[in-house]
Amino acid sequence: MKKETSIAVPPVEKKRSFFSRAIQQWDLQVLVLPGIILLLIFSYLPMYGLIMSFQEFRIGDFPGMSEWVGFKQYASLFQDPNFFRALRNTLVISLLKLTIGFVCPIVFAIFLNEMRRQGLKKTVQTISYLPHFISWTVCALLMFDLLSVDGGAVNELLLSLNIIKEPIGFFQNGKYFWGIALLTDIWKELGWNSIIYISAMAGVDAEMYEAADIDGATRAQKMWHITIKAIKPTIILLFIMSVGGILNANFDQIMMLTKNMGNAMLTEYADVIDTFVFRYGISMGRVSFGTAAGMFKAVINFALLLFANKIAGLAGENALF
Amino acid sequence: MTEIKVHNHNKMKVKKVFSDYVIIILMAVIMVVVFIITLYPFLNSLAISLNYADDTTLGGITIYPRKFTLDNYKNIFTNLTIWKAYGITFSRTIIGTVGGLLITGAMSFALSRKGLAGRKVYTMLCLIPMYFAGGLIPTYFLIKTLGLTNSFMVYIIPSLVNVWNMILMRSYFQSVPEALEESARIDGANYFTIFFKIYWPVSTPIIATIALYFGVFHWNDWYTTYVYVTDQNLRPMTSVLMSIINEASFAERMAAMGADASAIGNAVKGKAVNVRSITMATMITSIVPIVAIYPFLQRYFIKGIMIGSIKG
Repeated sequence: MKKETSIAVPPVEKKRSFFSRAIQQWDLQVLVLPGIILLLIFSYLPMYGLIMSFQEFRIGDFPGMSEWVGFKQYASLFQDPNFFRALRNTLVISLLKLTIGFVCPIVFAIFLNEMRRQGLKKTVQTISYLPHFISWTVCALLMFDLLSVDGGAVNELLLSLNIIKEPIGFFQNGKYFWGIALLTDIWKELGWNSIIYISAMAGVDAEMYEAADIDGATRAQKMWHITIKAIKPTIILLFIMSVGGILNANFDQIMMLTKNMGNAMLTEYADVIDTFVFRYGISMGRVSFGTAAGMFKAVINFALLLFANKIAGLAGENALF
Repeated sequence: MTEIKVHNHNKMKVKKVFSDYVIIILMAVIMVVVFIITLYPFLNSLAISLNYADDTTLGGITIYPRKFTLDNYKNIFTNLTIWKAYGITFSRTIIGTVGGLLITGAMSFALSRKGLAGRKVYTMLCLIPMYFAGGLIPTYFLIKTLGLTNSFMVYIIPSLVNVWNMILMRSYFQSVPEALEESARIDGANYFTIFFKIYWPVSTPIIATIALYFGVFHWNDWYTTYVYVTDQNLRPMTSVLMSIINEASFAERMAAMGADASAIGNAVKGKAVNVRSITMATMITSIVPIVAIYPFLQRYFIKGIMIGSIKG
């Protein structure tokens, strides 16, 4: 009897229009609508704003109502050497983060999983999350101090080990910047990014390890055949998502480490697409030109995400969508 | 059967092969390195902030203060700028977190109900911005056109909805047994009651997690102020700290305000020391609340991330 009603109800519901159903469940609609309206305003209106990149924005114009110029902004963008410099820096920093920066939390999680002392494991874990919770402002301040020429801990250590004769000016020479961007990112997010792998490992049946013990498996074999196998889907999923963000060099991080791009010694290696967009589009007022660079970034990111997702699908792995 | 297992297990533990030792040593090295590298900068700054400014110039402060003092903290707390900035940071964190939880929470609850009219369309609307965003400049003009620049509301309104947080919360609400909703419906409860009185109280783990996410975002946000706010009275701690780091004159002014007249008259060198001590004291002050809270929320946010990873 009960079954019959539950089967019979949906077709009736389906026939009724969206509006009559929405009015009937007005309370549920009231819960969802404020969020949807805010989303339409703050996420969708900016998408519409991208049409400024096909126009010539002049001060005083209402955004999106300027004169149409077609692909003129893109043409001048692709002739700008500074744009290619920003593209190069973004790609290098992102690829470093996507390779070395991506592997580090996995290695950390795998070795943390090998720790038998639970109390110690918990302590290391808790400490490792700490930098995630501080702002890039604080992080940059700590790094300026740590890498300072004048008594910074890193220089002191290298000097005392006789690895260098003179203290290194890490922030006085652009060639160190890519490395600094990578290492500070790892420092900040290592523990946090490892949580997801640790959770995935926690889902492994303890009997798997016991069975492996009986078969005489070594630690290395268990790590390879059980632990890493268990987190493989997670690794692939996160990798796909990271590929989609390849042109998003962390704006906050770059701005802080370069003192709001005020450190001219670093610009050659530190200027990324986001800082480029900001400088041209907002500081210099070349709005349409800056928007074109932003549009370029959004489109490439989206295409890369689709591409990575397709590859994962072809490889027989769980794809994102 | 169990006994045999235990026996075997113990036997395997005794017989360690060479590669086992390599792994144990590697593990110990990695953990020690992570432990030291993570903690050292914080402890070093804490030590500097608690050390006599003049003594700090001599260098060599590691993880404990050589000459203990609270003067640096006294100096910064006699400064009105810090109090104002702290007030802004606190109020935006509290209002932003509560508002975000309400709006994003209500939205995710509604989207987790199968019977929601228009559910598919709403969900699509939420997912698209995750992969394609208008970006920096269009958002800038939007905020400007809406008249949110130089207003406290610029800290709150644009961040009320966060799609990532919405998805995490939605997954959690979906995992709550539907019987809860059905029995309440039979009793004639509307969806407000069901959400606030029934689902909200049983969702502590996810609410704590999302509250932490919103809270950390608001506490640490520097970008919004940098781009949209020029009013000195609306500057949060991160911006004040940034000014201290970037503008030597700003820090000197702050150092001088708290110090007595003789200290201001000191040599340039003495002033510079004060700047470093003041910077560190300000920094420590700005991170204390978050650092004190996150260890207690740890088990919640780990669960929160797990939910997210299962649902992808």
